[in-house]
Amino acid sequence: MMFPLDNLLVEQRELGLVVAVACGFGFGFVLERAGFGQASKLVSQFYGDDMTVFKVMFTGIVTAMVGLALLAGVGLVDFAAVASSATSSTWLVPLAVAGFLLGVGFITAGYCPGTSLVAAASGNVDGALTFAGVIGGTLVYSELQPLMGSFPDMTDQGQLYLWQVTGLPIPVLALLVALVAIGCFLGAEKLEKIFISRQQLQVDPAERWQLQPRRWAFAAMAGIALAAVATLALPVSAPAAALRHPEVLSPQQVAEMVLQEPWKVRVLDLRDPKECAKQRIPGSECVGPTGIAKLGLGDDAGSRMILLAKEVTATAPAEALAYPGRLAVVAGGYAAWRGYAFTAPAMPAPAASAAERQAYQLRAGLHSALTGAQQAAPPAAGGGTAAPKKKKGGGGCSG
Amino acid sequence: MQNPAVPKKFWNPYLAGIALGVVLMLTLLVMGRGLGASGAATRLAVVATAAVAPGHVAATPALSVFTAQGHPLDDWLVFEVFGALLGGLVAAYTAGRLQVGIVKGPRIGRAGRLALALAGGLLMGYAARLGRGCTSGQALSGGAMLSAGSWIFMLMVFAGGYAAAALVRRQWR
Repeated sequence: MMFPLDNLLVEQRELGLVVAVACGFGFGFVLERAGFGQASKLVSQFYGDDMTVFKVMFTGIVTAMVGLALLAGVGLVDFAAVASSATSSTWLVPLAVAGFLLGVGFITAGYCPGTSLVAAASGNVDGALTFAGVIGGTLVYSELQPLMGSFPDMTDQGQLYLWQVTGLPIPVLALLVALVAIGCFLGAEKLEKIFISRQQLQVDPAERWQLQPRRWAFAAMAGIALAAVATLALPVSAPAAALRHPEVLSPQQVAEMVLQEPWKVRVLDLRDPKECAKQRIPGSECVGPTGIAKLGLGDDAGSRMILLAKEVTATAPAEALAYPGRLAVVAGGYAAWRGYAFTAPAMPAPAASAAERQAYQLRAGLHSALTGAQQAAPPAAGGGTAAPKKKKGGGGCSG
Repeated sequence: MQNPAVPKKFWNPYLAGIALGVVLMLTLLVMGRGLGASGAATRLAVVATAAVAPGHVAATPALSVFTAQGHPLDDWLVFEVFGALLGGLVAAYTAGRLQVGIVKGPRIGRAGRLALALAGGLLMGYAARLGRGCTSGQALSGGAMLSAGSWIFMLMVFAGGYAAAALVRRQWR
């Protein structure tokens, strides 16, 4: 796997920030040219006669999805690993409520947060004021947080993906989503025609629904999706990687696992054995970068979870993918574990929730055990009853 | 670069969508991150609060979490959003749309329109924190990565928009 280029977030951070500006430039440029710097264009979506928002957004989603599915199929990138680093957990109720409120805010302001930036950049005062409102709204949230109790973290499903929900291989799912999207686009144009004839707007239909680019775009999306499905037939390890994805555990989940239920997990450290000998996740076997082939994981009964640790988020080698039981990697790799387990946690504020206090206790115990004696900590007494606290944020917007 | 007298037409929505998808795909591929917007607003809010009342930031866990690891603006997303402003500016200028003004419907005054823009922004800022992202980071980027929560969020954004459309119709139509 070549991508993503992890270095851009760590060692070559300055270059990464330049790339960030470039990514943002492309984003802002395209949004403006799609017409999204004008509230009148955006809100038309919600009055039925112009489905541009829907078309642009879903074409964007499908394009990125099928493109990555194809690159993953030929082994250039691990779709699930990128998804894990780029998306947040699924909090069913809070996300549904947040989406609804954001939709109400969208039609009220005329922009969503991203498009309000582009509107401001085009000179629209209403766009600038919308973004100022967004800034203020995040502050309101911070002030109200103590009143919300555990609501923002309720119904936490961890990181949950549609391929896990449906049980379909990623490329097949991507093809289905692409076909549904194309069907919806055709339906959306039917709706537009109904609304426009009702309002008797003077628009030349040939210009409004330009058929040439549309056919070309639909063919491209479906073609790439089909090519991604075809990679499932490749005789290399790519289809196995496309079919199977290790679970990604946050350092805190790893800590809970190795401290509270060490008999359920077998930790394999794939870093240089010397590094591993110096410092490792409690209970790790130092197998080194290539030693995993000798373990015969494919013939194992698979009763325990196999947890792989590398310096960065591990991509599971074929030997590990052959393991019949649960397979997991550490989110952010050993580097993230080191940051979690070997730095003293900050005391939670007096107003912190019970889950936050519990997380602090776990981490403080782990920290003192590892830095004090360099030994595995004793199993925590009693075992936690509160649900494990999952990775916060992670979505691009929440940073 | 020039500023054409007659604004250029908007791109065909499907071609614009493909361009958006390519930018998103490259971002995910190279950086392992999605595109976003509201996360930068959160960080700007922390900086603004810290300038006025530094003690308050330290006392509010939902704010101090952004000052714990370096400067709140020293973040990938802040640079990405700065790039989006630049990209929007260049695109608007080269298309002949760079012009100070207020976009509004015919039946509402300027003050009313601006008040609603601010109110909608406030609501979205709150919702984006609760949703761990907005239409860009949660719906668009998460949707492309097939996150279940992102799809729920996205469908509810459209539901919220259609539900409230009648209430604010006077502003637009």
